[in-house]
Amino acid sequence: MEDLGLNAPHSMGTTIIGVTYKDGVILGADSRTSTGVYVANRASDKITQLTDNVYVCRSGSAADSQIVSDYVRYFLHQHTIQLGQPATVKVAANLVRLLAYGNKDTLQTGMIVGGWDKYEGGKIYGIPLGGTIIEQPFSIGGSGSSYLYGFLDQAWKDGMSKDEAEELVKKAVSLAIARDGASGGVVRTVIINEEGVTRNFYPGDQLPLWHEELEPQNSLLDIWGAAAASPVPMTE
Amino acid sequence: MTNGAFEVPAKGGFSFDNCKRNEMLLNKGLKAPGFLKTGTTIVGLVYQDGVILGADTRATEGPIVADKNCEKIHYMAPNIYCCGAGTAADTEAVTDMVSSQLKLHRYHTGRESRVITALTLLKSHLFRYQGHVSAALVLGGVDVSGPHLHTIYPHGSTDTLPFATMGSGSLAAMSVFESKYREGLTRDEGVKIVCEAIASGIFNDLGSGSNVDVCVITKGNVEYLRNHVQPNPRTYTSAKGYTFSKPTEVLSTKVTALAQRAVVTERGDAMEEE
Amino acid sequence: MSIFEYNGSATVAMVGKNCIAIGSDRRLGVQLQTIATDFQRIFQIHDRLFIGLSGLGSDAQTLYQRLVFRHKLYQLREERDMKPETFANLVSAILYEKRFGPYFCQPVIAGLGDDNKPFICTMDSIGAKELAKDFVVAGTASESLYGACESMYKPDMEPEELFETVSQALQASVDRDCLSGWGGHVYIVTPTEIKEHILKGRMD
Repeated sequence: MEDLGLNAPHSMGTTIIGVTYKDGVILGADSRTSTGVYVANRASDKITQLTDNVYVCRSGSAADSQIVSDYVRYFLHQHTIQLGQPATVKVAANLVRLLAYGNKDTLQTGMIVGGWDKYEGGKIYGIPLGGTIIEQPFSIGGSGSSYLYGFLDQAWKDGMSKDEAEELVKKAVSLAIARDGASGGVVRTVIINEEGVTRNFYPGDQLPLWHEELEPQNSLLDIWGAAAASPVPMTE
Repeated sequence: MTNGAFEVPAKGGFSFDNCKRNEMLLNKGLKAPGFLKTGTTIVGLVYQDGVILGADTRATEGPIVADKNCEKIHYMAPNIYCCGAGTAADTEAVTDMVSSQLKLHRYHTGRESRVITALTLLKSHLFRYQGHVSAALVLGGVDVSGPHLHTIYPHGSTDTLPFATMGSGSLAAMSVFESKYREGLTRDEGVKIVCEAIASGIFNDLGSGSNVDVCVITKGNVEYLRNHVQPNPRTYTSAKGYTFSKPTEVLSTKVTALAQRAVVTERGDAMEEE
Repeated sequence: MSIFEYNGSATVAMVGKNCIAIGSDRRLGVQLQTIATDFQRIFQIHDRLFIGLSGLGSDAQTLYQRLVFRHKLYQLREERDMKPETFANLVSAILYEKRFGPYFCQPVIAGLGDDNKPFICTMDSIGAKELAKDFVVAGTASESLYGACESMYKPDMEPEELFETVSQALQASVDRDCLSGWGGHVYIVTPTEIKEHILKGRMD
């Protein structure tokens, strides 16, 4: 029997992205969680809250990324109380890095930390597999990101408006969903700026269609009914 | 663990005393035995006023059906139950352990347990053992913040979903949920869909079988419907029973009379529970 | 080859009307070579509680020693015998403690509880309890035992009939297993007495 990999650890073959724009940052992610070739969750939320003003996009092993973000959220709570003011994005990202680097032999996770604070404004930090930290104007991660490097190099502009930036994030994630089998479902975005946080959700049938993609259909029989009078005969 | 001349009862945690020896036996070509598994279909869904959990009742040991009517919906707290799939010993041990931690926590705080607390305790145990404790769980319950349904994987990752399936029959069960689940189901509709999902696991997955157990949890009430549906009754019982033409040959028989049991009468008031 | 098949064994327990039966074969072998024909696999914990340990002979004996030790500690502290359910939990806990380096033993527990209520149960080698109302089996002949018991068992048997059923099921099953046999050992426990029978079996 074909091994469906149902006993494989849960992993998020993912597309995650974080971009800075004029007033803050926008994080984006698909919603597919898979075990082998089985989609274990088609509507997962990979953009996790760390503090009021900092969020993180998770990729790789679901168990590993959840435990890292749970610990970082716990540390940041403590830190916020001791400091008496919101934690900065840099501090949050550094905590993620500390755990990712310190446990790099056992952890299989890459993360993008993004948020807004009063000292540095909107910031994006990429923390890929080994636990290094990179401050970037935009960052992409997960298996779907291979399809996006060229696109973002061309399409990302400094000082975009919020709408331009969100449109870019939506476009990028939907492009990756179209090409990467391990990414799929819906597009989730989180917009963080001085005003606060906005969460958006774009279901699969509201995403742009790319090269050779089909219109969403309730039933395949509808397509068959339109093309031929009788159903397509089965052959073996 | 060894304390001088004799072993004292262990305080808890695993013991790795036999590992070296077992590895030696393994290297000599003696295969380790398989464990009792629950090649299972377990499901859960959120409906109008609570959570419904469901499970089949087959336990397997390799290709053998070891138990035709086992219980896979475990008690966690009065308002929380948990379906278990995977290695039977692991699901049993991990749910028992967390259930007792929750009870101590209730004594400490004087409040009803929350589903998220159970979830965190379960996932941190499973994560610590990096998937070697192979328990796949569907956790459901109703607490102060409403109904909750989670799935927990052996490696310690968790999902929060309106409907969930786990175990070897999860694909069969999910196909029922994906076509029939909707928001705002009534209790009876919910139970019906859960039974259908389990039944599709029982009939389409070889690792699942026998009966359907259901557990309906609402605010302040739990209905544990053990063997709610029995789609596989025994068909081959002889009404006459079985007789033996030739009796067994007995070499020797030793009879030991047993003393009558001492009757103990309790005095004083019993301690109250909860 | 599996470690369970190293020594070979067959154990079974069955419930009757206010009584229980527990039986095992008597062979101890090293793979196909028979070493002993009077090997003990069923052990008495107290008057109304028995445990059968199939699997690796050395682990069965080690486990038995630990169980007796723990039961004696319990008797000293509590001044009473363990209930079968409690004992099953103890066995399960002792086995699960060695989850990642198990005893190669599959226990079968049978006893009479309060009000002489019959209790039987079995476990895998890491302590996953399997409670049954009718019968439980373990050992290399377990597959044949499942079949034999499944067809021969009926509810509410009196001690004599229970003995005959268990013995016949045991003999029939070990005759189809190379690694177990050479006679049987069957205990019938009723509220008033224990009957220990040694059965004659094939010697091949």
